[in-house]
Amino acid sequence: MLKGILFALLGGACITLQGVANNRISYDIGTWQAATITQLTGFILAALVLVVVRDGSWKDMRQVPALYWFGGAFASVIIFSEVTAIQYIGVTFTIAMLLIAQLCMTFVIDSRGWFGVLRRKVTVPQCIGVMLMIAGVLILKL
Amino acid sequence: MVMGILLAIVAGALVSLQTIFNNQVNARAGSWATTTLVLGMGFIASFIASLIFEGSATFSLQNMKPWYWISGAIGVGVVFCLVQGIKRLGPTFATSIVLIAQLSTALLFDTTGWLVAQKIALTPGKIIGVLVIIVGIIVYKFGDRWVGKAARSKKPSTSHTLGQ
Repeated sequence: MLKGILFALLGGACITLQGVANNRISYDIGTWQAATITQLTGFILAALVLVVVRDGSWKDMRQVPALYWFGGAFASVIIFSEVTAIQYIGVTFTIAMLLIAQLCMTFVIDSRGWFGVLRRKVTVPQCIGVMLMIAGVLILKL
Repeated sequence: MVMGILLAIVAGALVSLQTIFNNQVNARAGSWATTTLVLGMGFIASFIASLIFEGSATFSLQNMKPWYWISGAIGVGVVFCLVQGIKRLGPTFATSIVLIAQLSTALLFDTTGWLVAQKIALTPGKIIGVLVIIVGIIVYKFGDRWVGKAARSKKPSTSHTLGQ
């Protein structure tokens, strides 16, 4: 339990660190270049881990509808947008807006059952949760 | 200001979309095969975008500092931590903590000015704002349980992110 919480905390912290690190790197070599380098080095490291742990096989990939193979490509636009947003409005505001948009998008996809996701109704507590988040952002900018 | 907000919204919407795509791959292949594929695709897309928008400047990397070369390891660490966290806590609890950690760390970077261009002063408003957002995240994730709609599906939440 405690170990799980620590992993989750570290994971979340690293997601933000990723954005901030990309932002820092972009000052020296450019934003698209920063995205390219971090994805390339991450890819190499992940491939090495894959070879070591032998988890799953590439054969299974063929069972995945081809559209979903390309999810990773979104990362280029995500990194570019996030890095540029950080330059305009700072880290906290960027992450707050990003999270709200992320949850709202998940909302829409869940309620429509798009992309093979099990269809779920949007619930009142979820709406209240998002509204609280938006209220929080407004307070943040007061 | 408006530009920054719009870009953050675009990023968030795409994170959601990417997470769902990645989960579809992850459901059939293992998490490291998925991560390798995702980062490989990210590299190809970024490289192409860089060639289009930056041209030959894509290859002028003389300002690279040594640690830039290992920055990709952060993304791999993210996947490892998330997989471990979700395995131990389940997706709802784990992703709630991840979202809260993301936001709290963001505030930390802004107030310390570490790795960012300008330091932003920590005001009571900032702290209250972040706390309200955190309450919002918790209500979003756990509100249904409190209301007691147990009949709802038990499918893992799609809102956790596996790296970017």
